[in-house]
Amino acid sequence: MNLHQEFERELNSIGSGATTTLDVDAAPRHLYCDIVERNTLAISFNELRMTTSELASVDPEKLARIGKSLAEKLTYLMEPINPIEFDAQGCVVQLRSAPPQRDDDGRSYYELLVRGGGEISLRRYRKDNGDARRAIAATVTREVLLRLAGDFEAALDELTNRAVF
Amino acid sequence: MIMKIERDQRRFRQIVRGRIRQNLRKYVTHGEMIGRKGRDLVSIPIPQLDVPHFRFGDNGAGGVGQGDGEEGKPIAKGGGEPKDGQGSAGSDPGGGHLLEVDMSLEELAEIMGEELELPRIEPRGNASIVQEKSKYNSIRQTGPESLRHFKRTYLKALRRQISTGVYEPDDPHVVPIKSDKQYRSWNTIEHPQVNAAVIYMMDVSGSMTDEQKQIVRTEAFWIDTWLSSQYEGIETRYIIHDAVAKEVDENTFYHTRESGGTRISSAYKACAELIEEQFPASDWNLYCFQFSDGDNWGEDNDESFKILGERLLPIVNLFCYGQIESPYGSGEFMGNLQGRFGDHEALVLSEIEDKDAIYESIKMFLGKGR
Repeated sequence: MNLHQEFERELNSIGSGATTTLDVDAAPRHLYCDIVERNTLAISFNELRMTTSELASVDPEKLARIGKSLAEKLTYLMEPINPIEFDAQGCVVQLRSAPPQRDDDGRSYYELLVRGGGEISLRRYRKDNGDARRAIAATVTREVLLRLAGDFEAALDELTNRAVF
Repeated sequence: MIMKIERDQRRFRQIVRGRIRQNLRKYVTHGEMIGRKGRDLVSIPIPQLDVPHFRFGDNGAGGVGQGDGEEGKPIAKGGGEPKDGQGSAGSDPGGGHLLEVDMSLEELAEIMGEELELPRIEPRGNASIVQEKSKYNSIRQTGPESLRHFKRTYLKALRRQISTGVYEPDDPHVVPIKSDKQYRSWNTIEHPQVNAAVIYMMDVSGSMTDEQKQIVRTEAFWIDTWLSSQYEGIETRYIIHDAVAKEVDENTFYHTRESGGTRISSAYKACAELIEEQFPASDWNLYCFQFSDGDNWGEDNDESFKILGERLLPIVNLFCYGQIESPYGSGEFMGNLQGRFGDHEALVLSEIEDKDAIYESIKMFLGKGR
């Protein structure tokens, strides 16, 4: 059973209710989701994070490729996400909603970081007018959450396949 | 005695100044309205200003319309019924006529200083920089014709003609020959003056948009205008950075976009090195202006603060940080800077949400009089 299937099984096993953490391990990949609320249709989570040793020694160019691949795949969120900054020195790719969602009181956006140490993480932020930005829970359907986990894996698979060829 | 036209012209200039002062906020906010004309002149569009024109007097009695004829009788030929023109009148209000007036940067700075209530800058240190200037204060026997001294040449020719008996008072022609010609010449004078170096730093990382850069350009224009009016000699340098910093020319400064991450420490390091190499603090008044969306990679803050605290703040007159809000509003650097160096007298922080905030930001930056 791969990580995605394991994650789906775990997700189906939890009922509606309050905060819980899903921690799924399928070496060398590890998926973590900090769920703050769930019901039959939707799930709110603070962070979806995949860690893997496959990214431990990846070069900046390959990291940028993963970022680009994720931007192409993640078209089903509330806003499209695009690579914003690529820090070759720190080996980090930052992707954000482009453009962010605006309302009268401020703006909200997704931020996805791909780190060279071996991590892909997705969070949602809100910046109210006059205040500092803060992390908020992202709300998606169960299907979207599963798809996110699947696309994180797929982006890593592409990298692994390219490395083989 | 002052001629009437000069008085009128002076009055017109006063009206122009008044209009500029009245609309200064608009000019500051929309820097693109101001066109540059050479080094020292700018061209400013002024709306709703009556251009001076001749007004005819009545010349006593008589004049047009005083002769024979009935009241209301048309004067023009073929004065029949008015005919419809082609097309219809526009429905939108006219944009008004704009008059472009030329103004020196010095005058503009004066208006800005008055309107923003900016204190005059008190330069730090001695006038230890020696500036070389050319002064036309001597005469030579050779030189370009454009510099020929007509009066001296004439006098020398006259003297020669009289002494040689060629000059005839009844036919007073004075014809200079080559040896009569005198030319103006210059001497190089060393003139000590108080100088200032202005260093602009801008974040050009992927998160900085063109709109944010336009704000920087507008703000830099007004800062330059003010500082140039306060110092005789200004040296300006530009540094751009994402994760890596480099010194660039003005054009590159405003038109570069990188996709790298934001490491503010790289700009501080480049700035400190530039100052140490070219502008020793003992000789120069130093001004640093940094603009960023404040989205610095978290782990870089410590390094940035170290360089700022040890190598920049102790030696500069002013270190101004302008945080221009990005579409994400995610900049946290200003808050961190405030927490670390908030009470430092040389540090000025300003949050620039949009174009409208430029006016207050300039006031804040230059209001210290340092």
